[in-house]
Amino acid sequence: MKRCITLIILSGVAVVLAAGPVDAQGPIKIGFFAPLTGFAAADGASAKHSAEIAVDEINGAGGIKGRKVELVVYDDRHDSKEAVAVANKLIEKDQVVGVVSGSYSMPSRVTAPIFAKAGVPMTVAYAVHPDVTKAGPCIFRNGFLGQVEGAAGAESAVKIQKAKRIAVLTVDNDFGRVASAAFIERAKKLGAEIHSEQVYKLGEKEFGPYLTKIKDEPLDLIYHTSYYNEGSQIARKARELGIKAALEGTEGIDSPKFLELAGPAAEGVTFTTNLNRDDPRPEVQNFLKRYQAKAGTGADMVGASAYDAVRILARGIEAGGTEAKAICGALTNLKDYNGITGKITRFVKGEVTKPVQIQIVKDGKVRSFAVIDNPEVITPPAQ
Amino acid sequence: MYLLTVATLVAIYAMLTLGLNTITGLAGQISLGHAAFFGVGAYTTAILTVRYGWPFWPALLAAVAAAAAVGALIGAAAIRVREDFLAITTMGVNFVVVSVFLYFPFFGGALGIGGIPGPRLLGHEVARPGFLALTVAGVLAALAVNLWLSRSWAGLALLALREDEEAARAAAVDVRKFKILAFTIGTGLAGLAGAFYASFLTFISAGDFGFPFSITVLCMLVFGGIGTNRGAIAGATVLGAAPELFRFLADYRMLTYGALLLVLMRFQPAGLLGDDSALWRALRRR
Amino acid sequence: MLVQQLVNGLTVGSLYALMALGLTMVYGVLRVLHIAHAAVFTLGAYGGLWTFAATGSFWLALLGAMAIAVAAGLAMERWVYWPLLAKPPIATLIASIGVFIALEEIYRIVAGPEPHSFSVPLRVRDVRLAGVLVTAPQVLVMAVTVALLVALWLFLTRTSLGLALRAVSQDREMAAACAMNVRRIVRLNFALGSALAGAAGMLVGVYYNSVSPTMGDVTAYKGLAIIVLGGLGSIPGTVLGALLIGIVETLFIGLVEFPFPRDAWAFLAMIAVFLLRPQGLLGR
Repeated sequence: MKRCITLIILSGVAVVLAAGPVDAQGPIKIGFFAPLTGFAAADGASAKHSAEIAVDEINGAGGIKGRKVELVVYDDRHDSKEAVAVANKLIEKDQVVGVVSGSYSMPSRVTAPIFAKAGVPMTVAYAVHPDVTKAGPCIFRNGFLGQVEGAAGAESAVKIQKAKRIAVLTVDNDFGRVASAAFIERAKKLGAEIHSEQVYKLGEKEFGPYLTKIKDEPLDLIYHTSYYNEGSQIARKARELGIKAALEGTEGIDSPKFLELAGPAAEGVTFTTNLNRDDPRPEVQNFLKRYQAKAGTGADMVGASAYDAVRILARGIEAGGTEAKAICGALTNLKDYNGITGKITRFVKGEVTKPVQIQIVKDGKVRSFAVIDNPEVITPPAQ
Repeated sequence: MYLLTVATLVAIYAMLTLGLNTITGLAGQISLGHAAFFGVGAYTTAILTVRYGWPFWPALLAAVAAAAAVGALIGAAAIRVREDFLAITTMGVNFVVVSVFLYFPFFGGALGIGGIPGPRLLGHEVARPGFLALTVAGVLAALAVNLWLSRSWAGLALLALREDEEAARAAAVDVRKFKILAFTIGTGLAGLAGAFYASFLTFISAGDFGFPFSITVLCMLVFGGIGTNRGAIAGATVLGAAPELFRFLADYRMLTYGALLLVLMRFQPAGLLGDDSALWRALRRR
Repeated sequence: MLVQQLVNGLTVGSLYALMALGLTMVYGVLRVLHIAHAAVFTLGAYGGLWTFAATGSFWLALLGAMAIAVAAGLAMERWVYWPLLAKPPIATLIASIGVFIALEEIYRIVAGPEPHSFSVPLRVRDVRLAGVLVTAPQVLVMAVTVALLVALWLFLTRTSLGLALRAVSQDREMAAACAMNVRRIVRLNFALGSALAGAAGMLVGVYYNSVSPTMGDVTAYKGLAIIVLGGLGSIPGTVLGALLIGIVETLFIGLVEFPFPRDAWAFLAMIAVFLLRPQGLLGR
């Protein structure tokens, strides 16, 4: 009996010793959701890889104040009900100190009020719906508002590319509608003529009817809000029909997939985005390299934005601690954050004022074309 | 809160499966567009509460009425066709209805409708547990409606219809009236679910009500046991909670779901608790 | 402009036709809605892509696409449809949906969710006739479609097997009573329909330079609307319906400014036909 007890005590001590210095508080949990399955799975994967890169970097540098960061990842399947369940799970079961949306507008929009009500701070990587940040004071969006992006696209098209007659193709979702509307408004203001706006469904592949309609018109530029699937079809069909107008897109086509699917038709296409491949800053180039190594393809806007969103939240935790209100305060007072998707001066009602990058496809590579930093254009409209 | 969320969603699914059971199970008419009526209920609630400031309760009644009205229209059209034709018609209706929601700004268009308020009781906003209780009440109401229907003279006629439409017609059962009645009641229940859904999520958009969701609801019903109310509720519970249960499967979840449906249909088409299922028979033997 | 848009419409319609024929042929003999047909279509695309990568030949890839599709179609007939014949039709419908979901997920897991490009150097040229442009890819699609349809027509009308197929689709029980090997005919139906779908899948992949796991989705739903429009079980009806839908969709986008989503037209047309002529355009 005595020997038994001694053995137990000894093994207990051994276990405790073997475990090493106990991290009394455990890792810092950050929630993350993205569409990992479903039609948007590619973007979800990009966001996830990038978020993981961000967390690896943070932990590699010792974590946040000595504690490791743990990313709690969930698939929202781009479905509202899923997103709501996931949000509640993150808050209640996983008890995350903050959450990053690596997802599209719909899941972000439906979960924002839930996180706001629970007081959990949220950073949004790239979702564009204006109402996301309106849900509460602790929601911070890293990406552009659709209105800003559309207006910047017009600056580039009319002022820099000198287009006078423009046709618009709009994808029928919140992003497309908002960006196109802003583009048209700004372009008209700058003196260009909008020949037409045609609306097409998300996922459309057949652009024959739309482009045939405008193919014989004297157009300087065709502006299309689209994702890389539709954008690549637009570029291909335009070239196939012999349309000579320039093509300008949005961050939706900021992806190596656009180049792959559009093939030679991608040459010369410009688009608005927040990631500048030619950015000399080491943070940017390092990220591009690490992403290529990890995912096997080039990085895109979605990934870069997710990376920044994670690191911004981490910065908030670093400055404010793990208490929600403190993180919120830290992020509200954040100044001059050097993100890879642009320098954030500060958040105003959760929105950023960042220069918009115009990138162009040249010789099969994405290069810098211009930067739009006219404050009139890039300041988020007061809402 | 998390459990409450899952439970509330399951209750909403149950209202949907019970409504579908009225159409497909009790009256033998195949509907592949149930999500459209769910959407009609949700959008009616959303528009009335957000745009016109209606309180939740009258909006809920309006939602049921609207969905039922659309259902009556479809039912009237359905009398012209039968079986597989009807399946595709309802599928087509689903697509058209969703297109309308997506396209016209009146329905919020691509941006959807947000800020939908929750129900208020005695001047206070109903909290989450209370909301769950309300949805459970909704499920019980749907169940009651189905039971009443199956035991009434209308129910007998529907049974005849399901067993053999030609014979029922020959016996001078007014086939038309009952098809429309079944559709109307079933879609009205979908509208009820829609009202709760809109209020629960506070934000809806056209994508929530597409054809894939109609399929999901149908699969829940068939999985649970088509033609039976217990099957409807069982199917909604198991498959509604499944994403949470199956979360550990993560990447393979949908694959498992599809395979499950196939295996079930091959070896146990009565579903989990249908009249002929192994499980039900085993339970009855006790 | 009108004629130009008609060319667009006919091209799209041709792709719809190749896809929908399999659906109508299976319905014709088994009276079931073969929703998993869309997964066969997608498999054809991947099969063609894979074969092309291995051989570098468009025609071999097309054969590869069709062969893989046939194998899948026959497997479905054997393991899903035939065993479920005695059960109520809804069981088959749900099973078909289950297969469809499962297969799409398998494609996603194996090949990845992102679309793959499928570029084939074309040796056809653009055709210009009286101010109308038919681009090289359009020429290819229409030529292959016509070739396959002609082959099918010859088979159905000039061979005894084809005759048997038509007999079974008209009345399965009667055909069995006449001592025809119904099972064999059913399998032949699946094989032919799947072959066409496989070809369609590959053509769509090449035409749009994009092969992805969910590429069959919309075509599946639309295919169902098309076969109803044309008349369930009617092969000429399906071809007519497909071309008509292709044209209607295109014209409503290209000529009329009617602000209604493209896919809805197919279903509206279908519903309209129901109300006016439930057996479809060329149905019995």
